[in-house]
Amino acid sequence: MNAYLLEIGQALLALLLAPGLVGFVRWLKARLQNRRGAPVWLPYFELRKLFGKEVVMSNNASWLFRVAPYIVFTSALAVTFLIPLLAAPLPFDNVGDLLVVVYLLLLGTFFLALAGLDPGTAFGGMGSSREMTVAALSEPTIALAIFGLALGAGSTNLGRIVTATLANPGVAISPGHLMAFAALFIVSLAETGRLPVDNPSTHLELTMIHEAMILEYSGRYLALIEWASWLKLVIFFTLLANLFIPWGLAATLTPVALAVAVLTLILKLVLLGLIVAVVETRIAKLRLFRVPELLGMSFVLALLAVTSSFLLK
Amino acid sequence: MNDPLFSQLSTLGSSIVLLFGIILLWRKSLHAYIDAFRWQSVVLSVMLLITGTFSNDHELYAVALFLFILKAVVIPHYLERMEKRFGDHRELQPYVNVASSLILSGMLVLLAYVITRPLVLISDLPTRSGIPLAMGLIFVGLFVLVTRKKAISQIVGFLVMENGIALLALLGTYGTPIIVELGVFLDVLLGFLVMQVFVYHIQTTFESIEVDQMNELKH
Repeated sequence: MNAYLLEIGQALLALLLAPGLVGFVRWLKARLQNRRGAPVWLPYFELRKLFGKEVVMSNNASWLFRVAPYIVFTSALAVTFLIPLLAAPLPFDNVGDLLVVVYLLLLGTFFLALAGLDPGTAFGGMGSSREMTVAALSEPTIALAIFGLALGAGSTNLGRIVTATLANPGVAISPGHLMAFAALFIVSLAETGRLPVDNPSTHLELTMIHEAMILEYSGRYLALIEWASWLKLVIFFTLLANLFIPWGLAATLTPVALAVAVLTLILKLVLLGLIVAVVETRIAKLRLFRVPELLGMSFVLALLAVTSSFLLK
Repeated sequence: MNDPLFSQLSTLGSSIVLLFGIILLWRKSLHAYIDAFRWQSVVLSVMLLITGTFSNDHELYAVALFLFILKAVVIPHYLERMEKRFGDHRELQPYVNVASSLILSGMLVLLAYVITRPLVLISDLPTRSGIPLAMGLIFVGLFVLVTRKKAISQIVGFLVMENGIALLALLGTYGTPIIVELGVFLDVLLGFLVMQVFVYHIQTTFESIEVDQMNELKH
């Protein structure tokens, strides 16, 4: 019973942390660029404002356009039940392993791309085609990078992977792990629409990807989609933090262990946010035609990770 | 000697050395090529130091020092001078485009794993898991050598291949005797000097260092 409460608790925590994390990264980026920056909690107000606004829709939009935000949001929310956010062996580990996580994420991307095409605007179609290019290249890398870990642990179950790393800490600095980490990091930037691939802070720029797809959305639909994309950032950061550096996760469901788990989770998210903010300040956006090359690099990294952990086994 | 930490470190080092070889394929500017080669040599000399410490072989320190001076300081310096003089700083159209070369380099490393598998299976060296990576680096160097057009990138490809051979020697034998290493370094230096002279001649004859131009000689 307690375990199921934990599941619900961790999904709620992810929902609550998501806007804060995005706000934090934005604030940090602003500080690094010598701007004062909006307060960290601004995204919460953004959500409240958007939920209060009326929805304006194009006459050409079909039912797909209305349904897509809910699918995008719930698929991201469903993933938060499956990933090790606070505790390592979860009761839902039996429900879904890493393949379910990867393809639930892709399901959301797929419906978002459909919704971008649906109203028939030029920008939406452009955004959808770009998003699909990026997704098609990054999705095998995610699966392969986590497979590199799964081979070492002998199971595709995320909880099992975490406990295997905890039982054998030396694995964490093995080349397979490090290369898989690098591969997953590059792909996380691409999938969450961060800088070398897509610029999250611009609106109406010819090279935008995510923004182009959701240009037609307003009101609560926009709120749901934005929240889902922020949730995706938390999901990828958690995968990076807890699959590769699982220390701090609660092994037992005592209040102390859970409090430690929440604190370490926040600390890890802050650290990753710091890395992303520094990376985004340091580098410029890649030309769209160079994005496949970057993703190809991350694919090779993931491939090498799998080979080396296969050979070391 | 059979320290798990040593085995862990040598595998990690070989992966980093290999990664610098692959980064080469991703970058376009000649400056980035030279930088990647420089850092690769630095990591390689650190690996020599580590091996020297764990196997108590103090000759390896001297080899590491020579390698550092030659491949991380002298050769990159001359490469950079050449690059500055010619002023044509980009590998714009290699024979194989970047995305395919990355995938192909992944395949080459897989091939190296397949080829060295019998060797790794019978070996009980703590460094055995790095051997396929060194072999992979040799293949990647060769790949750079045959698919890039600029003379300077081809030189870097050759040097990377040489680094791969040095890494393989280090992992397989814990470093050859110092006199052999010195001979090898001298060969590399000499080869490099000869290639440098060639590049200058190519530049004065064709006013470009793209080796494609040499096809004109046939007509």
